[in-house]
Amino acid sequence: MPQPVQYRGMTLIVPDNDSEWKEFYEHARAHRLVVRRCTACGLLRYPPTHACPWCMELGWTWQEVSGRGTIYSYEIVVHAIQPGFKELTPYPVVLVELDEQRARPTPDESLRIIGNLVRPDLTPEEDKNVAIGKRVRVMFQDLADHMALPQFTLTDEPPQGRVWRLA
Amino acid sequence: MKSLRDKYCIVGVGETEYSRGSGRTTRAMAVEAVRNAILDAGLTPRDVDGMLDYQGGDSTLANWVAPDLGVRLNFYMDVFGGGSSTEALVGLATGAIEAGMCHTVAIYRSMNGYSEFRIGGTGVRAAQPVRSLDLAQVPFGMRSAGQNFAMTFMRHMYEYGTTSEQVAHVKAAHSTHASQNPKALLKERVTVEDVVSSRWIVKPLHLLDCCVETDNATCVIVTSSERARDLRRRPVHIMGVAGRVSKPRLDFHWAHGPITRVAGYYAKDIVFGQAGIGPEDVDVTGSYDAFTFTTMLQLEEYGFCKKGEGGQYVSSGIIELGGKRPNNTSGGHLCEGYTHGMNMVIENVRQLRGTVDDYCPRAAEGVHTYDYAPGRCRQVKDAEITMNLGWAIPPTGSALILHR
Ligand SMILES: [Zn+2]
Repeated sequence: MPQPVQYRGMTLIVPDNDSEWKEFYEHARAHRLVVRRCTACGLLRYPPTHACPWCMELGWTWQEVSGRGTIYSYEIVVHAIQPGFKELTPYPVVLVELDEQRARPTPDESLRIIGNLVRPDLTPEEDKNVAIGKRVRVMFQDLADHMALPQFTLTDEPPQGRVWRLA
Repeated sequence: MKSLRDKYCIVGVGETEYSRGSGRTTRAMAVEAVRNAILDAGLTPRDVDGMLDYQGGDSTLANWVAPDLGVRLNFYMDVFGGGSSTEALVGLATGAIEAGMCHTVAIYRSMNGYSEFRIGGTGVRAAQPVRSLDLAQVPFGMRSAGQNFAMTFMRHMYEYGTTSEQVAHVKAAHSTHASQNPKALLKERVTVEDVVSSRWIVKPLHLLDCCVETDNATCVIVTSSERARDLRRRPVHIMGVAGRVSKPRLDFHWAHGPITRVAGYYAKDIVFGQAGIGPEDVDVTGSYDAFTFTTMLQLEEYGFCKKGEGGQYVSSGIIELGGKRPNNTSGGHLCEGYTHGMNMVIENVRQLRGTVDDYCPRAAEGVHTYDYAPGRCRQVKDAEITMNLGWAIPPTGSALILHR
């Protein structure tokens, strides 16, 4: 079993039989963002799950995605509950809608992923720069030889739709 | 959907003190709460033969509690769960009785939610290893309930223009109600300004948008209408129940849109269909207030106002005592104490009996002044129908409609 990873006071455990995350993190460590693609209907899904939620097919393959997307919602953690996050506060957590599969298979659905919004040096992005509608791209935070976290950073692309932040 | 409308009743309610340091075990508290409910109903231990409870690895078990009280069980089950379990277990109790497995079920929740297993995720819970589903959120500093749900409210603000001030009215209203409740942990009335000027926890949630972690145990007793007829209290009839109704993508509520839609969207037709009524027939609501905005989201999803107009609804005065349809008249989780939903059902039972335990001198006899000035009455005049809107997470909810 790979060694548990210590990160900000947390023990992250991805055992060999973790058929959801093990390979996801191996790809992430190679700085590739992958999601599962259904071998029957072709739809993409994240987080990794075992059957297709739209057609119940068990077959899937990893598919690399661009890692580009738009902030769908966010929050700013001011009072951290995990001791290791206290020095980071205030830090943003963003819900990113990836460019692949936007508004599919229904208008309300998309390929969404959680991450922190960080600056290029991986420190938290400032509250005043975080807004729904802003464009982001993935970047990777290496934690160990076998694990990296996908994080997001702002790009200079024009925003998608209405830009809004909590005043 | 099949309906058992009016075939079953809630006949007893009981609780321990709401505190922030019980100094005793969840078993000790559960025993006291169940005993209080048995006495409230006018039953004896021999009259109870079913037991249900819910917990998240933080509490005692039915087969430890029942023997303490001399209760011999024909049916019991310990269920994994938190919010939205109360209503679901009331429904399961009626099912167990309907199936002939037992005839009278005590449902309890016992938790040292402040002094032992903090609901906010600090302490024991924060130290747990992160694996499996948690890997999609927790490594990003998204662990507590507030951190888990905040994005739903933020998106609601974006889509519908809902404001912090609007949902702050929920806390203000519930604090007003708690000021009439001798049991409440937080009896002081607060204003909208107090809420929005309290410190940020996780934007868009302020400290006073969040409920109060509490040590307590609570119990309700369910039996058939026939048995209820001869008991001590005016029976409160179960009109409809929906239990742990879920959205698609229950695992990650943010994976399936719109994230501003909550489980009530799917639960409302079940519960109103059984009861044969609509939102306009409900006199008192108990919309789960883990946070101010959860109350708002559910009220709009169940149709008490149009989708997106929850902010206006909760800030209009409707939800206050003396308003058209008061919500959480005990002060709820924001002020009375956090119980994973139980105290809101208990309060509605008392409202329907007409015997809310406020500061009216003859409250126990059901004599009330209906004077809602501080430190007085919190009985709603002639409450006929109440509804509980239970929340677990954005994609899971339960509901219960009762009438007197
Ligand atoms: Zn498929």
